[in-house]
Amino acid sequence: MSTEQRRNEEARREMFEAIRGHLAASAPHDAVRAAHHAAAAHGEDVSAREEKRATVVFEGTAVERFKQALEAVAGKCFVVRDEAAASEVLRRIAEQRDSQRVAVTDSKLAGRVLKLAALRSEVLENAAVESLFECDLGVTGARWGVAETGTLVIESDAERNRLASLVPAAHVALVEARNVRHTLGEVLQAINERGEGGLSRAITFITGPSRTSDIELTLAIGVHGPAELYVVVIEGEGNG
Amino acid sequence: MHQQTSETFDQNAREALADVQLRGALRNLATTFGGRRKEAIATVEDWEGLRDRARAAKDETLAHLDKYLEQFADNAERAGAQIHWGRDGAEACRIVLELIRARGASKVVKSKSMATEEIHLNHALEAEGLAPVETDLGEWIIQLAHETPSHIVVPAIHKSKRQIAELFAEKVGIEPTDDVAVLTGAARRILRRQFAEAEVGISGVNFGVAETGTILILENEGNARLTTSLPRTHIAVMGIEKVIPRFTDLDVFLKLLPRSGTGQRLTAYQSLITGTKRRPEDEGPEELHIVLMDNGRSRMLSHPVTRQSLACIRCGACLNACPVYQQVGGHAYGSVYPGPIGAVITPQLSGLKPAAQLPYASSLCGACREVCPVKIDIPELLLHLRAEVTEGTAAGTAAQHGPVKQRPLERFAFGLYARAWSSPTLYLLGARVARLLQGVVVRKGRIGKVGGLLAKLAPPLAAWTEWRDAPPLAPRTFREQWRDGQYREGN
Repeated sequence: MSTEQRRNEEARREMFEAIRGHLAASAPHDAVRAAHHAAAAHGEDVSAREEKRATVVFEGTAVERFKQALEAVAGKCFVVRDEAAASEVLRRIAEQRDSQRVAVTDSKLAGRVLKLAALRSEVLENAAVESLFECDLGVTGARWGVAETGTLVIESDAERNRLASLVPAAHVALVEARNVRHTLGEVLQAINERGEGGLSRAITFITGPSRTSDIELTLAIGVHGPAELYVVVIEGEGNG
Repeated sequence: MHQQTSETFDQNAREALADVQLRGALRNLATTFGGRRKEAIATVEDWEGLRDRARAAKDETLAHLDKYLEQFADNAERAGAQIHWGRDGAEACRIVLELIRARGASKVVKSKSMATEEIHLNHALEAEGLAPVETDLGEWIIQLAHETPSHIVVPAIHKSKRQIAELFAEKVGIEPTDDVAVLTGAARRILRRQFAEAEVGISGVNFGVAETGTILILENEGNARLTTSLPRTHIAVMGIEKVIPRFTDLDVFLKLLPRSGTGQRLTAYQSLITGTKRRPEDEGPEELHIVLMDNGRSRMLSHPVTRQSLACIRCGACLNACPVYQQVGGHAYGSVYPGPIGAVITPQLSGLKPAAQLPYASSLCGACREVCPVKIDIPELLLHLRAEVTEGTAAGTAAQHGPVKQRPLERFAFGLYARAWSSPTLYLLGARVARLLQGVVVRKGRIGKVGGLLAKLAPPLAAWTEWRDAPPLAPRTFREQWRDGQYREGN
């Protein structure tokens, strides 16, 4: 065992001893508090506690809700019928931005839509890091959408997306409508219900473009991540 | 400006009160974040229920911290992370330094981490010839200015646009401008080069999930994602209290933290990192090192009142709500953690003696307790710490640093007060005597500034009347009036 390993082992042991020791020291105080709380709660009618209900409630489909939430955080959302329509949107975005070099991940969905779009720009699949910094648009898929917050969830097991969705100044994400769920809780549950393989090593939640209010609390969009986020929700049946 | 430490809070506060620009910035902070938080809360079903659930999860974790920490470490290691244990800040800094040295690296980028600020990691690395670059805009600004953060979430809130523009002009050579977009664009351009060349990325951790060994990092800018995806080596510094039991617990915390801190439903990015990449050709760092740090945290477990300090998720809501923080800002506290939470954890982390003024930096209004997403009873903690200060006892947390100076005069005064107020006869007698004596200081029906001998005898009266009048005692007490029938029907 190296010196560092020895130090680490010793530190680990000491830290656990400290934790257990301090928790044990707390036991008599905890007992006193528990007794107090039991006595106090005796008279309290917990069911009568007023629950503060949300005053902002949404009626509508998950996709409609997603669009509203995403637009509220300066993202742009297009809901389209099928992959052909999605490719139209992608071509328009690329043309509007006069995009020269597009980075795309190995997402099958993104690959198909890109092919249909037949962009004029140079397309780099799984670009090397240096080339990524030269790209002005990144195209990825997304594993899930969270409607209540307008959030995309991209998983590294599904596609190599970490940098394509981050480095270029604009990001286009393609997501299937059936993968857009209402709540964060639902999506976290779905992510956690992984099979044998365990969780994806890198899961990224994206809610709108990059931003900061560090200077006088003034909002500035597009700091280190993309300044523009476009999400294209595809309603038809896809192959994933 | 002199070096502001927690020992000189009183003095720091007076200086801050005279700083007009600072007070404007803080007023902006309170109204903006306060308003946004309220709006954000309105979008949640049962906010109170969420707070309860979060606090319950934290209580459960802390009561069994050894078990959950072990589970977290095992699962993280199974996924490829390397776990390092740091008993205190100095050891944690040494671990990070060694990791960088052993890899022959020199280009280090950092994303925002209060834990690394706490242990002065940058300072430790710079002392060894390294030059870690802060990449969060607010942290980069204060790094350029050689200052410490004044807020947990917006570290450069004390600086005006003008000051930042001048700073950028001086340090990175851009044209001074009032345009925030231009300033931000400059930061983006300059820091991108750093990202591209970085060999090591250092981050903090917002939550560590025991069930899966996942670390979660929240941000708005994208610099944490770049810091943790581009360099070959990722070092994550994590306080041991950041563990939560289950992956699905993230739902509760992700609903509470952004809304409480900045009034957002979610911050722009969350990175959930579980170990290292599966295949060499995948994106991401080759190595993930998680440095689990104690640095005084385990001591806080020793009493239920202090243990709740460890539930803190560093949202900053208490700072935004606190009338004291709103007036004096973060630097007055002389600590990396300012505001209400700073007032209670700084004495526990750095020792009661140097931070003895901080538990008194409060009127106990309880605004912090109201807004805390995990329902930490900060006033209770403040009183607990005040008791430790006045009793000079070394119970639990102060044990390491010895008793604080005794205050015999204060004890005498309170002893007198307790005796007089416990006896109706003494109380009435005292009231009569005081009424007689007050004629000396009452002018035109008010007690104005008290000086001289009286000020020495009754310091609280002198302190009170320095800035405002005190009302005199009424000519007759309520009891006397009642006894004389003044409140009988018909009078």
